Amino acid sequence: MANIAILNNTLHRSVRVQAGASARYGDNQRFVPVIIGEFPHLAAHYPILLTKDQNTGAFFAGAVLGFDENENLFLNERGMETYRPLNLQRGPFYTAGNEVAIDLDSPRIDSSGKPLFTEAGEPTQYLQSIMALFRDLKPGLEMTKSFVETLSSLKLIEPIDIDLAFDDGSKRKLTGLYTVNQEALRILPDATIIDLFRKGYLQLIYLMIASLKQVPVLAHRKNNALLKSSALLAGR
Amino acid sequence: MIKSVENIVIVGGGTAGWLAAGVIAARHQGRIQRGTFSVTLIESPNVPIIGVGEGTWPTLRTTLEKMGVSETDLFRHCDAAFKQGARFARWTTGAEDDGYYHPLMLPQGFTQINLVPHWLEDEQGRSFCDVVTPQGALCDEGLAPKMITTPEYQAVANYAYHLDAGKFAPFIQKHCTMKLGVRHVLADVQSANRAENGDITSLTTQQAGEIAGDLFVDCTGFRSLLLGKAMGVGFKDCNDVLFCDTAMAMQVPYETPESPMASHTISTAHSAGWTWDIGLPTRRGIGYVYSSRHISDEAAEAELRRYIGPAANGLTPRKIPIRAGHRETFWKNNCVAVGLAAGFLEPLESSAIVLVELSAKLIAEQMPANRGVMDIVAARFNDVNHYRWGRIIDFLKLHYVLTKRREKFWRDNTDPASVPDRLKNLLHLWKYQPPWFFDEFDRIEEVFPAASYQYVLYGMGFKTEVMPGDNNGSRATATSYMSENLAMTRKLRAQLPKNRDLVKKIHEYGLQAI
Repeated sequence: MANIAILNNTLHRSVRVQAGASARYGDNQRFVPVIIGEFPHLAAHYPILLTKDQNTGAFFAGAVLGFDENENLFLNERGMETYRPLNLQRGPFYTAGNEVAIDLDSPRIDSSGKPLFTEAGEPTQYLQSIMALFRDLKPGLEMTKSFVETLSSLKLIEPIDIDLAFDDGSKRKLTGLYTVNQEALRILPDATIIDLFRKGYLQLIYLMIASLKQVPVLAHRKNNALLKSSALLAGR
Repeated sequence: MIKSVENIVIVGGGTAGWLAAGVIAARHQGRIQRGTFSVTLIESPNVPIIGVGEGTWPTLRTTLEKMGVSETDLFRHCDAAFKQGARFARWTTGAEDDGYYHPLMLPQGFTQINLVPHWLEDEQGRSFCDVVTPQGALCDEGLAPKMITTPEYQAVANYAYHLDAGKFAPFIQKHCTMKLGVRHVLADVQSANRAENGDITSLTTQQAGEIAGDLFVDCTGFRSLLLGKAMGVGFKDCNDVLFCDTAMAMQVPYETPESPMASHTISTAHSAGWTWDIGLPTRRGIGYVYSSRHISDEAAEAELRRYIGPAANGLTPRKIPIRAGHRETFWKNNCVAVGLAAGFLEPLESSAIVLVELSAKLIAEQMPANRGVMDIVAARFNDVNHYRWGRIIDFLKLHYVLTKRREKFWRDNTDPASVPDRLKNLLHLWKYQPPWFFDEFDRIEEVFPAASYQYVLYGMGFKTEVMPGDNNGSRATATSYMSENLAMTRKLRAQLPKNRDLVKKIHEYGLQAI
């Protein structure tokens, strides 16, 4: 259960937070919601796909980090070596209006973590970086929503089935994922294409399309992980 | 030169008229946009619309999708809700716990195997419906047939709609005129002008002068202005088979706006007929369909009020006469009837709107290229429609003939003289073999397939003999489909939301198109 409180430099003066990426702290997510500002960083490593919110049915964008539940294939003992999405970076923090809030029950709250305030009650560099992150993330969520709604209204979204067979004989089938329909994009009227370009959406669309190339790369990573664990099991 | 068919004139602005206009205009959109084809709908500014039935068939999903209508809009503008079939309460014995479902999903593996004899051999103390489909259990729990993440018109469990027919016609009208290029003329038709061969050449209207056309679609309701009145086609009563001739309807509010909303029609047998009970988001539509030869209006109203309970206090029922039957022919010369103008049967299986859809589709798909080939298409249309009306009458009668109720209305209904021969023969046959694929329901668009007969027959305790050993060869397959059904039932019960909750979510967030 979350216990969320508005951050206060008196009440939370001594709170310390584990900021690094770790499965223990919840970085083990196979699909992380992302904002359009992150697309250039993400596309170099992860497939950027859409899925539906279980509660509203609305599409949202996310980065695929793994295939199985609680699997982030980019996570190791040292953390994440590739770009860490803002939604993971933000750790136990939320925004409430213009304030930063914190989940005091998060496992990240830990006395060996980073302090949030100086002795004088000033935000530390770490907290300042979190505040800066929300300055991107908050408007970014709205902008991403508009982008996805534009894709939807132009009927540019299509389901993508990812069927994978691994060398250990196991199979994975990912459902409920969507990408850009390139054929529908190709037949859009010129005026619409120009409009998409001026809004910066065309670039985002191509980043999404390019990121599909990360699916086999991700599968390769998974295959190696599977082979490693089956080799361990076989005692080799 | 043979005159080509380019201008379609539909008369009547009710559900039938607008649905027919939408189906025809959507199918011929290419020609409409080129300006070589037109659909005109003439609606009287003075005639009130009879909202036929609030129950529909799953076909409506395909019909609306093809017309380009958004399902989210349908929910938001027509007070629509999900319908997963009907429950028939107290039809067999009249006892409190007597009831069965006619769901919209086919039995598991229906194309592979007939599960009836396997169920008959070992009922496991469970109803036929529950052994072959999850849908009865979904209805019992008031669950929706899909989720908010399921795209428009797609189903997890097959479904149709309950909707406010009074809102549905204007909703389709708007789509037809704004999106599909249907011309809307508000005028009263005074007379049909005829050619020597009997064809209608044009209609004279009071407000809009003369309107010419190549094909005239009569959607004028019970009055049947064109086919009945102008063309003189007679009406064939079928009150010798189906006795109900009156309906008494009420719109009943829910106790609270959050009261559960059934996701099926509840059809309950009474002393001289039956009630429909249809849950819309804002109200329940309830009506008693009865035979005035068997009960007085006063007694019927008292029975209706007893069924509804205190919620009926202060409400006044609306009485609607029913004339069961249909036109002797449906397409004559260049005039074809759709909807009530073609005929009407008691709404026991919500056959009104589905018949409109099927007729409109047949007209749209088989649109004669010119007057020279129209009679061939007309003959085909008449043949199909005679078949359909006949089968629907048989199927409605089936609900009555298996009753063990003792009231005179019910005993009269089981009188062999009132049962059509075809149905009589089938019932005889089905004592020895259960209905399935090889029965003579062989049309491409069968309104009620063999599965529907299975649900009603075995829901009402009909017995078919199973010869010992006959099931041996297919038992393994049957067992696997039955356990698949159990697993599916468990899964759907865990994953599907409540009917009302999903409808509320659709109002709030909408369904995605994909």
